[in-house]
Amino acid sequence: MSTVGLLRTLFNPKILPSNVTQLQSLNRSPFLLGFLFNHEQVRNMSRVKRRNTHPGYWLPLKNVQKKDDKISADNLRFVREVIQDKYKNKSPLKGSELQIEKTEWDPKTKRSGVIARNIGRQQMWDKDGNKIVCTVLHVLDNHVIRYIPPEEYVKTSRGAIHFKNKTPLGCLVVGAEATNPEKFTRQYCNLFSEVGLLPKKTLSRFIITPNAALPPCTPITAGHFLVGQAVDVYGKTVDHGFQGVVKRWGFKGGPASHGATKFHRRGGTIGTGRDKARVWPGTKMPGHMGSERRYNRGLMIMRINMKYNVIYVKGTVPGPTNSIVRIFDTLLPLRKLKEAPPHPTYFPPEDGTQKEEDIWDSSLHVYGSPSISV
Amino acid sequence: MKNIFYVGLAQSFFKRNAASLSESAVTQHPIETSKEAGEKSGSKQKNGDESGNTVVVAPPEFRFMYPEFLPDPTMERRNKLKEKLERMDMLQRRSIIEIPEFYTGSIMAVTVADSNSPNKFACFVGICIQRGGSGLQAWFILRNVVDRQGVEILYEMYCPLIQKIEVLRLERRLDESLLYLRDALPEYSTFPFEMEAERRLNNSVVPINPIKVKLRPRPWLERWERQNLQGVENLNLPQRYYDRAKEVAKPWEKYDLMLQYRKTIPAEEQEKIYAEVHSQLQQQDLKRKIKRRRGPSSEQ
Repeated sequence: MSTVGLLRTLFNPKILPSNVTQLQSLNRSPFLLGFLFNHEQVRNMSRVKRRNTHPGYWLPLKNVQKKDDKISADNLRFVREVIQDKYKNKSPLKGSELQIEKTEWDPKTKRSGVIARNIGRQQMWDKDGNKIVCTVLHVLDNHVIRYIPPEEYVKTSRGAIHFKNKTPLGCLVVGAEATNPEKFTRQYCNLFSEVGLLPKKTLSRFIITPNAALPPCTPITAGHFLVGQAVDVYGKTVDHGFQGVVKRWGFKGGPASHGATKFHRRGGTIGTGRDKARVWPGTKMPGHMGSERRYNRGLMIMRINMKYNVIYVKGTVPGPTNSIVRIFDTLLPLRKLKEAPPHPTYFPPEDGTQKEEDIWDSSLHVYGSPSISV
Repeated sequence: MKNIFYVGLAQSFFKRNAASLSESAVTQHPIETSKEAGEKSGSKQKNGDESGNTVVVAPPEFRFMYPEFLPDPTMERRNKLKEKLERMDMLQRRSIIEIPEFYTGSIMAVTVADSNSPNKFACFVGICIQRGGSGLQAWFILRNVVDRQGVEILYEMYCPLIQKIEVLRLERRLDESLLYLRDALPEYSTFPFEMEAERRLNNSVVPINPIKVKLRPRPWLERWERQNLQGVENLNLPQRYYDRAKEVAKPWEKYDLMLQYRKTIPAEEQEKIYAEVHSQLQQQDLKRKIKRRRGPSSEQ
């Protein structure tokens, strides 16, 4: 059998011709191993192109030039007055004012998520004195913009891809970070004016079951989650730019001294001469590293500060400090919610009795409590 | 009025911290005009704003007494809300345990809860050779020589296992980092564990110990001749070491304003941070003083 054929059968064990077992026993002979130079690298074409960094074709092209509106000072003042009149005197909506259907939570419910900003890392200690590094996530001013029921969402291009062979679910559009309407176009502001909100900088879609639907203008705060619950955090990883092979793929490079000529951080060989006789697509080489969509799953919430809308999550989160992330209830089966969380979302009690401002997990050492004595 | 305030600031600043400034030509005697310093910098100052409202500002020494309240200056990682929350947590911890004012060169005793020690508490006495970190990650390293073995322990100031931090001798040295004690003769790092707290005669000024330490013969852990150390005796090295040190030196860095700007928090922000925090710190300090005075009488 040719070498190519041998390699194929060695690396694709699913193909089972009748003589495979014979080959496998031959496999262990030092002769064959020596012949193959202990070649362990498995190269396959499944991850040919990881991703690209340019935005999707469906997104509007960004025109970052400074706008030259040539608006007179009087007209600008008038515009600002109109904005003031339109948006002021909007007090936060209370739970009783919104028309939410009373629905029960069950383990198969998918609740809305939350848009937050990663504001840094803080360390805390548990009751045994072990250090726990937590990421601090600031839940921004989230408001529900729209709910799209399953029948409608499946008809959209995105929904069709999402639910190709699955039962369709609804979609909740949530916005965060209210900003000055002067910065946006009329079309963008109209998305929010239908609901009566200031335009938001960040928008996000959360796939939810219909029983977790929320009416537009509903505020979502840090109380949406429970302390001790596990969450998944989605973010775009730190952008490292164009990086070499050592940092990007963890190659060892070459020796720093002992006569190495111009071979310290290079990749070395990129293929054999025999097999396929070309560089395989997906070969690890220098290139753009980072700025990729990633989910860090199963992170436990250690502490929630209701006053400042801040969640402390154990572990790290994709992306640099001050970047936007999305937080949802975890998908991991062993860490999923077992008891009902605030469903469909949390509303502070209306009789003025505030729940605890700062809720800590029971395993943590609260800073105001006496020192630990072991 | 503002001019007087800033002059007062500058004066008290120089008096307390003369030797630490590498660029300052002023080297004042540490124990001097203590009354003046006390008047200008002791209590909290109230400075009038242009609009006429009083703006409470913390005394300028807070910058040196509580340096861990200042955040890490790296701009990419700064966030005001997170720093504010961290400061609140730090004050909470400080309400339980007293974290005294100390500098590198001060001799301290730290008691830590330790499950492996016979009476569940481990006490260590040593000289503070380095101090760093900001916020809840603030740390300091204590060094001592025990049974002819040099021992260094890094303590995180806000760790809840720490039961007590006591400053036995509050003083400063001529350098900000005393890592050269590792290469010095052991007598410079030895302090008895039974050492008692020394009472200071003059509370407003922290004395600077002008001791010059003798190093052991080479090899050393670092190239001390390149580090411009003030607290070390003449190294007595061959001239080629000093020549190479000159070649490798970066004398332009002391003129690099942007470098200094990036390494520090601007003065206006520092004032804001300490203004936020100082009333609580002073209250805690007062409470402890009252407790100490009442202590022996309440025990009776």
